Amino acid sequence: MPGNPPTARRTGVVAALCVLGLGVAVVVGLVVGPTSIGTWRVVGSALAHAGLGHSTLTPLQSTIVWQLRAPRMVLGLLAGSMLAVAGGTYQGVFRNPLADPYLLGVAAGAGLGATFAIVNVGNGVGTPSWTPLLAFVGAMAAVIVTWLIGGRRARSGAATLILAGVAVSSLLTSAQTFLQQQSTGSIARVYIWLLGSLASASWHSVWLVLPYVAVCAVVCVAAGRALDVMSVGEEESRSLGVPVSRVRLVVVAASSLGTAAVVSAVGLIGFVGIIVPHIVRLLVGTSYRRILPISVVFGAAFLVLADTVARTVLAPSELPLGVVTALVGAPVFVLILSLRRPVEV
Amino acid sequence: MSRVELVELTVQAGRKALVSEVSMVIEAGTWCTVVGPNGAGKTTLVEAVAGLRRPAHGTVSIGGTLVAAMSDRDRARTVAIVPQHPVVPSGMTVYDYVALGRTAHHGLFRAAGANDRRIVESVLERLSLGEFRDRDVVTLSGGERQRMVLGRAFAQSTTLIVLDEPITGLDLRHQMELLELLKTEVADCGLTVVATLHDLTLAGQFADRLVLLDRGEVVLDGPAGVVVRSAELASCYGMNLRVVDVDGADVVVPVRH
Repeated sequence: MPGNPPTARRTGVVAALCVLGLGVAVVVGLVVGPTSIGTWRVVGSALAHAGLGHSTLTPLQSTIVWQLRAPRMVLGLLAGSMLAVAGGTYQGVFRNPLADPYLLGVAAGAGLGATFAIVNVGNGVGTPSWTPLLAFVGAMAAVIVTWLIGGRRARSGAATLILAGVAVSSLLTSAQTFLQQQSTGSIARVYIWLLGSLASASWHSVWLVLPYVAVCAVVCVAAGRALDVMSVGEEESRSLGVPVSRVRLVVVAASSLGTAAVVSAVGLIGFVGIIVPHIVRLLVGTSYRRILPISVVFGAAFLVLADTVARTVLAPSELPLGVVTALVGAPVFVLILSLRRPVEV
Repeated sequence: MSRVELVELTVQAGRKALVSEVSMVIEAGTWCTVVGPNGAGKTTLVEAVAGLRRPAHGTVSIGGTLVAAMSDRDRARTVAIVPQHPVVPSGMTVYDYVALGRTAHHGLFRAAGANDRRIVESVLERLSLGEFRDRDVVTLSGGERQRMVLGRAFAQSTTLIVLDEPITGLDLRHQMELLELLKTEVADCGLTVVATLHDLTLAGQFADRLVLLDRGEVVLDGPAGVVVRSAELASCYGMNLRVVDVDGADVVVPVRH
């Protein structure tokens, strides 16, 4: 027998713990690495950047921390928060616990775009900067096609859109596989991209992704109240005054755009988008006004910590980030699932 | 006040007319119940009144304004609906569920204000839902749940409420309680009620007026006592009906041939 839904106080505690975890993740992301640099010296250097005191880092150490680790950590924060909040938003707007940010074809489209760029190395479009661009274009094109098939008419329900996403995804994935098989020399690089990695992070990629994530995550979080009303279904939420099809369009656009930007920079990191919102839901209840903002923080901390594991366990080589998110995320999820009542969306 | 006017209302599913050419006026502060056999188009008709179905022809207007021309938000401040099979979202508290009714008033981007909270509190009290306020909605019994859905509709603060089979699945006492509660609102606050009911006896006792619908068309429309005793009623249902007077109330009884 289910008890009472979690209280505001409990939500406050969870939120505070997530913010604490985020702080830990930021420090860990800057401090942990093959070159050992003391925690306090890194913190001192950070304070020096803010104009307090003097950095004791050597120029090399400073480069390692601020040009390698810091952009990687920040990109991890952005990617984790965007994927988590997009997944939570999709679960709400489609009222489907299996929804994740890749539902409407973002992943398949990005995969095709990136594979096209990678296998065409030497043909003029193979330079590194083409991969994110074509991944982004592919991702957005896929979602737009999905929307034109399944979401254009106001009356067609969420299920039509999901099925259109399945069709578009499988079509693009098969095209991507074909392209990949045609060019056996680049399979390894395509494969690495598909599994996702923060290894190529730079401040440049951070600045490219940041505006998309900032705007899209805010839009998703702001949709929380509408998604709460929509938990009574499309018809009833319309009778309560929610313009359902408009909300769906805005939410899908924001989630897809933010996800496409993230994916173009870091590849297809799986699991974060589906698991983080579910973990948060199990902890704070079913209201999206709570789930979405907490998912932003939880997702950011989770991905940075997962990335730290990915780049240290087998150092100097790296584990694929998607492998770590699943390897760490699945047991955590199972644990919480077994402690709490069954998940319902 | 919500005077409802239907002009040659036709609603179609594909090419099939579910409701055809229905015209009627429901005066503000009255209770109108639509009766008829399964598949007569009752649900379609009341959903069209609530603006949830777009007419193929004809119009519905409430208080002089066309429903089709209202925004979702305006419509939700004009008419509330109690659906036949409401979705009960697990994990939501009873308070939050009733407060959904205030959405159209405070909007999607602003939290409920003091006035919204005051209205929700008064609805909880009026419907004796106070003790359940922090309970998960799925833990309520059928009767409590139906009161809660009615509470959400009351919280919309509309002067028109549309109810689709609101007492299905409730025991006799809860059926009477719910209908009495509505009747009080009609009498005290000038609420206009448009409902569908299967129970002809209760329909006759609570409505000011009955509309008998069959295959999407109005067969008879008049005071409850007249419709209940009409030959058309029995022929629409295709059975032998007797009406017995019990302490002044018309009790409709089916009789085997």
